[in-house]
Amino acid sequence: MTAIPTPKVRRRPPRTGIMLSRRAAMVFVLPAFVLFAVFIAYPLLTALSYSFFGWTGILRGDFVGIQNYVTLFTSLPYSEDIPNAFVHNLLLFLGAMLFQNTIGLGLASLLHRMPRFRRFFQTMYTLPYLVSPLVIGYLWSLMLSPLFGPVNAVLRGIGLGELAQPWLGNPQTAIWVVVIVTAWQWIGFPVLLYGAALGGIPAEIDEAASLDGAGSWQRFRSITLPMLVPAIGTVSVLTFIGAMEAFPIPYALGGSQGNPAGATDVLSLLFYRTAFESGSSNAIGTSSAIATLLFLFIFGISMLITWFMRRTERKLF
Amino acid sequence: MRRRILTTAALLAGSALMLSACAPSASSGDEAASGDEVTLKVWSWRTEDVEAYNRIFDVFEEAHPDITVEFEAFQNTEYNQILTTGLAGSDGPDVPMVRAYGQLQPNIEAGQLEPIDGEVDGLDDIAPSVLAGAKGRADGKTYAVPLATQTLQMFYNKAIFEEQGLEVPTTWSEFIDVNEKLLAAGITPMALGAKDDWILPIFHDIIGSARYGGAEFEEKVLAGEVDFNDPDYVASLQLITDVQKYLTPDVVGVSYTDSQIQFTSAQAAQFPGGSFEIATFRNQAPDLEFGSYQVPLPEGAVLDAPVSPAYADGNFAVNSKSKNKEAAFELLNWLATPEFGQLVADELNQFSAIPGVDYQDEIMQEAWKNAEAGQAPYLLLVNFRYGEPLGTAVLGAEVQKMFLGQTDAAGAAAALQTGVSQWFTPGK
Repeated sequence: MTAIPTPKVRRRPPRTGIMLSRRAAMVFVLPAFVLFAVFIAYPLLTALSYSFFGWTGILRGDFVGIQNYVTLFTSLPYSEDIPNAFVHNLLLFLGAMLFQNTIGLGLASLLHRMPRFRRFFQTMYTLPYLVSPLVIGYLWSLMLSPLFGPVNAVLRGIGLGELAQPWLGNPQTAIWVVVIVTAWQWIGFPVLLYGAALGGIPAEIDEAASLDGAGSWQRFRSITLPMLVPAIGTVSVLTFIGAMEAFPIPYALGGSQGNPAGATDVLSLLFYRTAFESGSSNAIGTSSAIATLLFLFIFGISMLITWFMRRTERKLF
Repeated sequence: MRRRILTTAALLAGSALMLSACAPSASSGDEAASGDEVTLKVWSWRTEDVEAYNRIFDVFEEAHPDITVEFEAFQNTEYNQILTTGLAGSDGPDVPMVRAYGQLQPNIEAGQLEPIDGEVDGLDDIAPSVLAGAKGRADGKTYAVPLATQTLQMFYNKAIFEEQGLEVPTTWSEFIDVNEKLLAAGITPMALGAKDDWILPIFHDIIGSARYGGAEFEEKVLAGEVDFNDPDYVASLQLITDVQKYLTPDVVGVSYTDSQIQFTSAQAAQFPGGSFEIATFRNQAPDLEFGSYQVPLPEGAVLDAPVSPAYADGNFAVNSKSKNKEAAFELLNWLATPEFGQLVADELNQFSAIPGVDYQDEIMQEAWKNAEAGQAPYLLLVNFRYGEPLGTAVLGAEVQKMFLGQTDAAGAAAALQTGVSQWFTPGK
């Protein structure tokens, strides 16, 4: 922190064997830093500052302090929409976690034992992940249409007609459609990540345990799973961010209002509605406040998950 | 050391920002200064109408040889942002197409548009509920010339009506009778995409505007003499439940596009919708023979004749930063003439906002005749989209709840009243 040079023994010699002066290192960092500053930090800080002002159209008005935030929690429609949307975001996260850490992990371990088909199936499972989520959402909305959709037609065809539903028209089923379609699209992601992590576990450990008489479940439980903790941490954080920022699939399935009757509303839709569809002249102020809250929440919880996973890792090893 | 590097980095980042900030103004050369020839930039979101607009502006250019119109269209969904940026900078359009009613207010409040009262002739001939779409809510000034009118009616499949021996209903009991007969014949009487909430206030106004009193109710509700809990308004919402059996079962699962297919593929006999559907139906099913009628007066209706709810769709305004304002007003004056109105009808297949236009197309003729027989404002769009929550959005979700049995007419009306009172003060 000070400019006075203090003779100090370097604790960690550079492992790469390449020595860079601070100045040279900065030159390498600079382009990334400038990009970060211009495209991430600057918009982020402007959104933060916007949320503290009143607006008329795109004209900035007076400094209003936390008034925009108070509005979010005290006046309609926000005071009703935010909790409603927030619960749906949480459901998306829990649903995705459940799918990814059971089915996703299961598929990854199965594929790990079948080297011959691994590539093929990994590609297959990842395919939906590569298609635009808007397209996925739209295709599912076609399939689930009560008039022309094949899903209900198949159910009726095999004698399960009473299960046929207006899937996206019934608030009780609509949100689960969003959860399942989101999880379905993302399933390739844990398959790939867990696949790579499984490949990174040395076979000798497994072998040694096997020689000691551990059964396959025991080996999975006490060796594979703990070794996967870092990967689980990564998947959890990314899933959390993805679920909190979910937009295209809910938009394609329920429109910007989260139809029917707000049953598929999520926070990003609320932001979108406020920013781009409302006739309110303070749209910029309110939507910036939503964006800021969303960012702070995602940031905070992501840090928490990371911290928790690190601690678990340290305990294990 | 570290501080110095940070400062350098910050300076660099800062100068990069300044560079990007300078970029647009550097390229915007002043074209207006050279001679009498003026080029007007016109922006629009109608990417599908570029050729038609070029033909329309050719007519204008012929009569005004010193003005060249450069028409540019942008993606509809991106247009609001593009326009906001364009109007804020110095490189924007001279004459932008702007939204109507509530969505126009942010541009007006930011001082981006020029008031046109006294500058443009012919505004007085335009229907008040249509011209209201071009006015500033706060100052009451007019900021734009309305482009098109949409009217909301019941479309019906002529072939099905003929097969079933049905005639266009003129009383409510005939209307119910038509729907009953269609139901008995195994044809869905009405196609409605209730999964998309925005269509539902339209549906309600088509069925119920005359019941609650159309323009009369509008006047009273704006003055604060009544609110949406008014028994007549509740009764108009009750009509939705009354006719629910004539819609597809599970109607809330049906999307708007599905409902269009239902109608164009003759699976449903009627379609409550806006005049903007005419072009879509034509494209989807060129052979479909269809017409439109006004839903007859229900029992206890406040009005004594059926009405077609209507609203303005799109306006042309003048950018307050335009360097060619004189020419821009010349163009706006022309946009308010019946000559342009006729071109809107012929080239764009839309109902012009200007009176005195003839429609060649039979279906448009019929719909226009209906609309002229009795008009009402599409109340929630015309008056209740000036704040959050939008009246249309609240009622859309409430009608969905009514269909799902989660609320009734009185509950929906109360929710609408609570919603709009967040920002609406009567008498203002």
